[in-house]
Amino acid sequence: MFQRLSRTFLGALPVALALSVGAAPVAHAEPKAGGTLTTFTSGYRTLNPAVQSGASTGSPGSQIFAGLVTVGQDYKIQPYLAKDWEVSADQLTVTFNLVSGAKFHDGAPITGEDVKFSLETVKANHPFGAAMFGNVGEIDVPSPETVVIHLNQPVPGLLLSMQPLLMPILPKHVYGDGQDMKTHPRNMENVVGSGPFKVEENNPAERLVLVKNEDFFIEGRPYLDKIVYPMVKDPLTRVLMLEKGEIDFAPFSGIRPTDVARIERAEGVNLTTDGYDAIGYVHYFEMNLRNEPFSNRDVREALAHAIDTGFLSKVIFGGKAVPGTGPLHTGNPFYSADVPMYEPDMDKAAAMLDAAGYPVKDGVRFSFVLDVPSWAPQAHVPMAEYIQAQLEKLNIKVELRKAPDFGTWVQRISSWDYEATMNGSFNYPDPTIGVHRHFDCDNIKNVIWANTEGYCNPEVDKLLDAAAVEVDFDKRKALYAELQKTIQQDLVFIYMPQDFSATVYSDAVGNMPDTPFGALAPMYDTYLDK
Amino acid sequence: MIKGTLGKTANTVILLIAVLVLNFAMIHVAPGDPVEALVGEMGGATTEQIAELRAQFGLDQPLYVQIGKYLWNVAQGDLGYSYYYDQPVTSLILDRIGPTLLLVTTSLFSAIVIGTVLGVFSAQRRNSLLSHLVTVLSLAGFSAPVFWIGIMLILLLSVAIPILPISGMTSSEVPEGTFWYILDVAHHLVLPALTLGLIYLAFYSRLSRASMIEVLQTDYVRTARAKGLPRRMVIYKHALRNAVLPVVTFAGLQFGQVISGAVLVETVFAWPGLGTLAFDSILRRDTTTLLGILFFSALMVVVMNILTDIVYRRIDPRIKTA
Repeated sequence: MFQRLSRTFLGALPVALALSVGAAPVAHAEPKAGGTLTTFTSGYRTLNPAVQSGASTGSPGSQIFAGLVTVGQDYKIQPYLAKDWEVSADQLTVTFNLVSGAKFHDGAPITGEDVKFSLETVKANHPFGAAMFGNVGEIDVPSPETVVIHLNQPVPGLLLSMQPLLMPILPKHVYGDGQDMKTHPRNMENVVGSGPFKVEENNPAERLVLVKNEDFFIEGRPYLDKIVYPMVKDPLTRVLMLEKGEIDFAPFSGIRPTDVARIERAEGVNLTTDGYDAIGYVHYFEMNLRNEPFSNRDVREALAHAIDTGFLSKVIFGGKAVPGTGPLHTGNPFYSADVPMYEPDMDKAAAMLDAAGYPVKDGVRFSFVLDVPSWAPQAHVPMAEYIQAQLEKLNIKVELRKAPDFGTWVQRISSWDYEATMNGSFNYPDPTIGVHRHFDCDNIKNVIWANTEGYCNPEVDKLLDAAAVEVDFDKRKALYAELQKTIQQDLVFIYMPQDFSATVYSDAVGNMPDTPFGALAPMYDTYLDK
Repeated sequence: MIKGTLGKTANTVILLIAVLVLNFAMIHVAPGDPVEALVGEMGGATTEQIAELRAQFGLDQPLYVQIGKYLWNVAQGDLGYSYYYDQPVTSLILDRIGPTLLLVTTSLFSAIVIGTVLGVFSAQRRNSLLSHLVTVLSLAGFSAPVFWIGIMLILLLSVAIPILPISGMTSSEVPEGTFWYILDVAHHLVLPALTLGLIYLAFYSRLSRASMIEVLQTDYVRTARAKGLPRRMVIYKHALRNAVLPVVTFAGLQFGQVISGAVLVETVFAWPGLGTLAFDSILRRDTTTLLGILFFSALMVVVMNILTDIVYRRIDPRIKTA
């Protein structure tokens, strides 16, 4: 079964997104043991990825906690804490066999009971718990090293979700005391994990220090002695520390495309956009589809003709950001480029607006307020300003409303009290996690990154339901291809250039984490050669 | 005297309650609540999870119940529980207050001493090169944004001439021993303290210069000179004492302002103090933490005002009872 799965994933070679910027990393001969890798954190409220998604918790969390599997190049599922697994013919039972002798950081053995406990915890507490494991039914532990998961319906993305970022293996003897998981004191204090690194110092105001787990269940790993995460909030300070070599490794660096040249000039510092495919960060122009004029599809199409995302990519982002073509990131295994696109054409846009009942009256067709979130300003501010300038040419008045902080923006969008906003979200590798939420009729909720725009198409719902349980990769891919077509046809969002996500790292870093999960995957193979 | 003290205490208590109520109201006028910010950071949640969190934090109750409960808890010395950090606000603040006090007192104290000295010097030779230099520097220091000064100082003293660390309060690997620890913290303290101190240095040199010029023209100074006292005696014993009175007044008043300046400086230099905590709490709508910090700052300002009163009486014996 393992072979079958890996073959299907291999068959899905994601569109090559080789955006290799920067000098080619120095080829290292032999991995070396030892050394302290300095990276950074911009703050976290918990170290337990079971109750919190995102990079701030995930990047140290995947070092502290192990998962059943890891995800290699081209989404190949590889054994980790599970040495192998078997899927029944009807796809409804999955049996995992754990490696022998694995221990938590406090010396207690890792057993099937811990795996069962972790899965139940994630299902109940993780923001994506229901999306990932909603169809998980009974879990049996016939022996300490065997876990049998019974599914109510096939879950095609199950194995992808079993890596530590989304399904960390937690010690039941620590967390199983009945306290609420989201606010469990051991999420921050005296954290006992199962992964390659242990928490040595956790002072979120200053730094997090992880040290090598000498009893790690993979022989001879990890290579690094220590990983230090100093707290650096200010992006400018971070760039300076990178240039000066005070930071060796900066995933999610928040570097603007225009800063790339600077980084490239710095001695011994490299930049890569590898390691973000599984996160799949897409940006889009979101319109509130409940109200005029955006409820009118022709208006949306006119806007799509006016907004030249190729120009945005090339000129504003210096060719470093790939134009988006739909809800799926170009690095996603189910990405399809076969979708309707709307060529830049201002005359056509104007004619369509005239026909749709929005002629120029007193110099204006209509006006609206475009909300600009406070996060990812390096992407959203230039996008919003470009849209404003383009639509001005069509006599559409756009007022930019820049949110002073996150809370202000979230409140407006999640209460549907907005006309249009710049937005963006993570795909995560399986579309059931990060894509379905935006389009499912049942998910029209007052929750951020749910279906806030108010889109409901029964045909799309059928596609989503079918794709959620389709285990044949090719059939599933066809369903998602159809979905991408429909979303672009209906112009639910106008997709902007994808995020320019980049890692900055020094020459000394060997085996840079460049798999689809990048720095959010365990770094037991990474080493330093200084 | 006792009556005066009692009156002052009552005033202080009323003031602190007003600070709490006003801040509480202001925070709730801002759009967004702690749960929405938290859920956003978590990457989304179900409607049930959101309702559960609201109930857990007591945010599902009417506002007057929330503020009533909050005031009652504060009266008992309990500043509440941080939504974001999952720990008591008092312990959070106590963890962070040390670095902030270190930063604020170092920068304020050096700004006052150096600023006054510069001001006094330039007042004596009003048209000298030094005097003009002080004027230009203080204008620049006063008008430049503090985060810009911070970045420029980093570029100068950490990147171009790499003698100071860019950020943080301690190195990740400090040699054993208290002495090395203190040295390490001092090394990290220079840049943020310099950044924060520069604005106030500018301010105090301007203030003491103006005040000194005024005092030097008064009759009693002329008398002192006329009776043949040495110049040093006239300047430091007679003139300076009166000239620094406004400096002391402002030092007391400005303590609160310095704390607000610390918010920016701490963010730029990743200084683990109350400023960064306040900044984060605003963004996260961590109401209880923010209220706790504001309450603490108000308390510190009150204490500083009392200290200012005492210092005043020492400098100018004429001020006995206000």
